[in-house]
Amino acid sequence: MKKYSKDALLVLMAIPILLWTLIPIYHIFLFAISSKDSAFSGALWPDKPTFRNFETIALQHHFYLHHFWIQIWNSLWIAVAAGVITLAVAACAAFAISRLKVKGGRTVMNLALFTYFIPAAFLAIPMYKAMGMYGLLNSRWSLVLAMVTLAAPYAIWVLKQASDKLPFELDEAARIDGATPLQIFRLVYIPLMTPSLVAIGTYALLLAWNEYLYGYLLLSHERTITLAVALGHFIAADDSPWELLMATGLVYALPPAAIYYAFRRYMVAGLTSGAVKA
Amino acid sequence: MASVSFKDIKKDFGKTKVLHGISLEISDGEFMVLVGPSGCGKSTLLRMLAGLEDISGGTIAIDARVVNDVDSKDRDIAMVFQSYALYPHMTVRDNMGFSLKLRKENPKLIEDRVANAARILNLQNFLERHPRELSGGQRQRVAMGRAIVRDPKVFLFDEPLSNLDAKLRVAMRAEIKALHQRLKTTTVYVTHDQVEAMTMADRIAVMNDGRIEQLGEPLELYDRPVNLFVAQFIGSPAMNVFDGIFKNNAVEALGHMWPVGASAGVNGQTVKYGVRPEHIDIGGGGIAAEVVVIEPMGAETELLLQVGGQSLTVTTHGRASYGPGDKIHISPQAQHAHLFDAASGMRI
Repeated sequence: MKKYSKDALLVLMAIPILLWTLIPIYHIFLFAISSKDSAFSGALWPDKPTFRNFETIALQHHFYLHHFWIQIWNSLWIAVAAGVITLAVAACAAFAISRLKVKGGRTVMNLALFTYFIPAAFLAIPMYKAMGMYGLLNSRWSLVLAMVTLAAPYAIWVLKQASDKLPFELDEAARIDGATPLQIFRLVYIPLMTPSLVAIGTYALLLAWNEYLYGYLLLSHERTITLAVALGHFIAADDSPWELLMATGLVYALPPAAIYYAFRRYMVAGLTSGAVKA
Repeated sequence: MASVSFKDIKKDFGKTKVLHGISLEISDGEFMVLVGPSGCGKSTLLRMLAGLEDISGGTIAIDARVVNDVDSKDRDIAMVFQSYALYPHMTVRDNMGFSLKLRKENPKLIEDRVANAARILNLQNFLERHPRELSGGQRQRVAMGRAIVRDPKVFLFDEPLSNLDAKLRVAMRAEIKALHQRLKTTTVYVTHDQVEAMTMADRIAVMNDGRIEQLGEPLELYDRPVNLFVAQFIGSPAMNVFDGIFKNNAVEALGHMWPVGASAGVNGQTVKYGVRPEHIDIGGGGIAAEVVVIEPMGAETELLLQVGGQSLTVTTHGRASYGPGDKIHISPQAQHAHLFDAASGMRI
């Protein structure tokens, strides 16, 4: 009986939290399937649900959506590149710090983590200046590099924690078996770190996918901006096409949802504990 | 097959000195066991031979070739770890063939070597499994298989049986010994378990505090321990030892005279008198003792006795008909008594 009352209490607490999270999403969905006239009707379900908004998006039939496909491609390109590069940098760094025990490795990691004391927004202007000096402004690479910079310290830290949990004897056995450090990295370390690597890769990918501020600063041409920045342009007008904004937002939210769903097992295992079953 | 030679090996971790000049010659095909309490430096010595630890001083040679600055992989050794250290993501076959694959050996040769090792270790049916699907004993055998496949000059074992339960440990002990008799590869085996050392070794090096206390064949250590440490470390249950004074070819201790065989003691010298539990006879006249605890083990019985406030262990064959509190008489076998100098602990 006591168990049931405890469960009931949990459910009672869960319901408002769930509603709190879902209502805005439902709202977006409602707008997305409403026509322009009925979007603000306040009804819980539109009289005539329509997919016209999605058609408009796909065919780029609106002033704000003329570059929709190239913009979502930019988002994808930048997110994937940021994920891959962060992963490569962090995996190498974690391997060097945790497994090769490179002198000063821990200091480097702590210095990298120290950058999180400075809010990312403060770094935006210096970053803008740096990218300008390198001539990277308005190039996808500027946002990729900025995102890698922001994601890498955390990624290195998580991967280092996970690496520390791999038994060290594995490296020693591989050394005696004749493996060079690079072979240990490739043949032993990477396969065993896969869950953490997937989690961290996804983290960096989604960080870049969702980024607005840096994208807004570093990219300015309609054909180079990401969809997140493009969405921001919608509300610049006095008469914003809310139904299109919401529909585009919904489309924009689908890839992260899919990625989370696909890798949810790794996300929990990789980020919370960093544990790898050896 | 190869000989191994340690010459004045020293090791320090920062200011802590772990090994104080170890010299040890291991001959071709020998099964050498390094035994000692934890922290005595035995594993460090083995890891230095494996190339996993730097050498602070002295030289290590395999077959007369100094390997101090040779990479692990070029020392032609194979090691079995306490935790097995199998690659979790590889099948048994890939685990065993990994070293040969790294050497870019011909796949046919790898296949043959792995099949051969699997046959020796009875692993044929497990080749496609992953380590997580194997029992502890099977994992241990795969770790050994990984070593055999390489056909190395020297096998190194670092407490390979410590993670197994008691029954399996005895079985694997016999398996490793049989394997050595078959392959005759020079073996260095580290353990803290003196029973393992006694049963498997050709020769044992008893280590304590970074030094070799005694080096010799198992029964030599048992019969003539050179000092108190070896006397009490080798043998189970441990030797009874207590203080006494040497008088007229006997030792006066605990209010009794304890017989000593031919020995070179000096009258009036303070000594430590040692006698193993199995070298004390019960019954007849002799030293009066009181039974405290009886531990029947079937084939033999262990008695915990009190003599003059000192606890003594006695092992008898067969069963004992005594109960706690009984008064009995004991007589140590004079020819099996050990005398040690009280101050230095060295054998007299």
